[in-house]
This record gives sequence, structure tokens and C-alpha cells, in this order.
Amino acid sequence: MPGPLPVWQAFIKISTVGDLNGYTLADHAAASLHRVPLGFIAGSLLAIPLGILTGIRSVARAAATPILEPMRFIPPIAWIPLAMILLSGLGRYVFLIGIGVFFPVLLNTMAGVRRTSPTLINVARTFGASTGSVIRKIIFPSALPEILTALRVGMGIGWMCIVAAEMIGGAPVGLGTLILEYSNYLQINVVIAGMITIGMIGLAINYSMLWLENRILRWRVEINVGG
Amino acid sequence: MTMFQIESLCKSFPTSKGSIGVIEDLSLNLVEGEFLCIVGPSGCGKTTLLKCMCGLEKPTSGTLLIKGSPPNPQIQKFGVIFQEDSLLPWRTVLGNVMFAQEICRAHSEETAKKYISLVGLQGFEVYYPYQISGGMKKRVAIARALAVDPDIIIMDEPFADLDAQTRWILQKELLSIWSTLKKTVIFITHNVEEAVFLGQRIAILTKRPAKLKALINVDLPYPRSSLSTPFISYREKIIGLLADEIPSIQQEAEK
Repeated sequence: MPGPLPVWQAFIKISTVGDLNGYTLADHAAASLHRVPLGFIAGSLLAIPLGILTGIRSVARAAATPILEPMRFIPPIAWIPLAMILLSGLGRYVFLIGIGVFFPVLLNTMAGVRRTSPTLINVARTFGASTGSVIRKIIFPSALPEILTALRVGMGIGWMCIVAAEMIGGAPVGLGTLILEYSNYLQINVVIAGMITIGMIGLAINYSMLWLENRILRWRVEINVGG
Repeated sequence: MTMFQIESLCKSFPTSKGSIGVIEDLSLNLVEGEFLCIVGPSGCGKTTLLKCMCGLEKPTSGTLLIKGSPPNPQIQKFGVIFQEDSLLPWRTVLGNVMFAQEICRAHSEETAKKYISLVGLQGFEVYYPYQISGGMKKRVAIARALAVDPDIIIMDEPFADLDAQTRWILQKELLSIWSTLKKTVIFITHNVEEAVFLGQRIAILTKRPAKLKALINVDLPYPRSSLSTPFISYREKIIGLLADEIPSIQQEAEK
């Protein structure tokens, strides 16, 4: 195992000079990061409305459970081969990140919706609120803490999926590709430098989302989940 | 003018063991501007009656009319104040008062602030519910109910969770708001003293299924003193009527 110094040197070299193809660490990181947002948005936009629907309508829940429940236990990595066959280019990554984000967001949205206080719903109803306004003004804001936490967890899973997908999918550039390539050359220094970069980016994403979460949920007493 | 007309109201809920009657053959009329208290043993169906009154539940049979039409929160305006904490935790005091207005499409920050002042909370507009006390939360709920200019105010044991002192202050303030605004108020409570202190009339319900056991005119001027002899005799009379209705432990065990 290399010590910290050789890893640091590898990190500097990859950051400044670049790898054998001339891509720097920043190029790899940017390539990986650029694959994330679309999948994240697609997964969330599907999961949140479905979570609300299954949360408020037991019929929808009964219909969705037998389909979604077994799928939840398929790890996102197991979807990679299917994505490789059926999709190409960016579509693969959008799909895989979408899968990673979809299930935590769906399940937490549903749980959050079901935890909505019946009193608050009655308050809105006695003022004459339609089902639409009950959803917009009571159920959604009430479930928002769970939804935001799920988005953060989903983002973490998505980030892990992307690296794995790059390794298996043979993308020309990306942090996953970098690690895999250098492991073939047995250059462990670069592999570890790449791994640390993945970890640091994940951490940065997590903390920025946590910061955003705490800002949006200022009304909560028990915030301050670290950071 | 008759505000509320309830005739032979019945409400039952289906269960796996057959239907359970909660309200049975209840008749009651209310005039506009009246302050009516409803007392009954706990679990007698007071809250179900409230839900029927504001259109959250449909009666199984019988009639329930407000100025001639069945209750529907999209037609009449209700100001309902619940026993539990009913503020939206993600909205400020002002936001909570405006929430009701938004739903009733009568958006006005000025009106909202007017009612916040009326309940004595000026200066607390930007506070979140977790930052204020239980008594203040109840005041916000009252301001929120008043801000929609309701046809009728329905309160379900609103002060039950408060300490005695806060409760007493809020009772007095409620009376002063009522005499200023001339609204019809239905006040549900299990506290007999509270009912005698507040109500022009007191409807006493039987144990479940709830029927009207007695309707008492409280012929005492406001403000009432709970130490006066007539106050005490009203209180004793109602407690006597309720005592028959409190199920014995024996009966409870047999259920």
C-alpha cells in the first residue's frame, strides 16, 4: 500500500498534467458530475407525485405495492447490464441515477404523506379547501422534511451508481473510468487519489444539500443534523 | 333568525360487528348570534356532532340545515377551532391566519393583522408555532377562524389542554370577542363550569348514542362569577344531569 505522500503526488500529477489520454482530474470529475442532474431530476419528478398518490389513496398503494416492493430490493448496480443493452450514451446514466433516486424518494414521500396530521387536513377542509389545495397546502409541506431527506439520500446513491456505471459501461472519461484504467496499470496511487476524489465530491454534495434542507425547513425545532 | 336547524339527526358508523350509533335522534335549534355550549360525557359523540355540523361528516339520517341549506364548507364559512394543536408548523403566525383566507379566496394581510391584534398577538406575526406557547397557539387558531368572517364559529374543547389560568383568560377574551363581533358560537366542552361561564344556553347530551338530554337557559348576565349562588346552582344542576350519564365501570367492562 502506498503512503499518503505518493497518493498526494499522484493527485497533483493527475490534477495538473492529466492522465495518459490528457484528461485531468477535473475533466473526469466534471464528466461524472454532469451525468448526475438529469437522472436525479427525472427520478425525483417520477417518485414525488407517485409517492403522494400512493400516500393518500390506499387503492393506488395496493396496486403499486406488489410491483414496486420487489423492485426495491434490486440494487441499482444490478440494473447496469440492462441499461447497457437497452440504452446508450447519457441515457444509460440518466436511467441508473434515476433508479437510485426513485426508490428512496418514493418510499419516504409516501411515509411522509401518511404521517400528515388528520387535524391539519380537517382544518383545511372546514375552511372549504378542495382536495387539490389540501395536497398543495397541507400534505406536501407536511411531507417535505421526509422528501428532502430522501432526495439527499437518493443523491448519494445516485453518485455511487454513476461511478459504478462508468466502470462497467466503459465511458471514455469519468472518475469510475479513471480508477478502472489505472488499476489495470497497477498504479494504486492514482486509484486511491481517484477514490478520495469520489468521496470528497459525495461529501460536498451531501453537505450542500443538508445546508439547503436546513434553510428550507427553518420552521423545524429539531434541525441541526450536523453541519 | 334561525341559524342552525337540527332535526332527528342520526349518525352511525359501520364496523365489522355491525353499525355503531353515535348520534341518535338529536334535535336542536340555534338562533343567529347565540352562544351555545354543548356538554356531555366523554366519548358521547360530541366531536362527531361537530363534524356533522361543519360538513366533514354526512348525517346517516335526519336534517341538519344552516340557514336552510345543508352544511358545506365551500358554501358557508366555518371557523372551527380544534382541541389539538391545529396550526401549520411550517407557517408563521401571520402565515397561519392568512392560510384560511387563501382557501376562502379573501386574501388580505391587513385583515389578518387586524385579527392578530384582536387576540393580542401583535408583534408575534413572524414567529413560528414552535416559538410560542400553547395559549398563544390557541389565540392564533381563534384569529385564523375569525379572519375568514365565518357565519358560525365551532369550538371543540378548545381550552382543554391549557393550564387553568390561561384558560380563564381566554374564556374572558372569547366572551369579549363574541360580544363585539356578534357571531354564532357553538362551544363543545366536558367542563361544566366552563359551559356555565360561557353559554347563553347549554345543551346536555346523553352517553353514546348521543341524544339531547336537556337544554338549559343560563339566565345570568355577563360577566359571570363562578362564586355566585345562581352560578353554583346551575353548575350543580348540570352535574346532576350528567351524573346519570357517566357509565359505571361495570357497564364499561361489559362492552
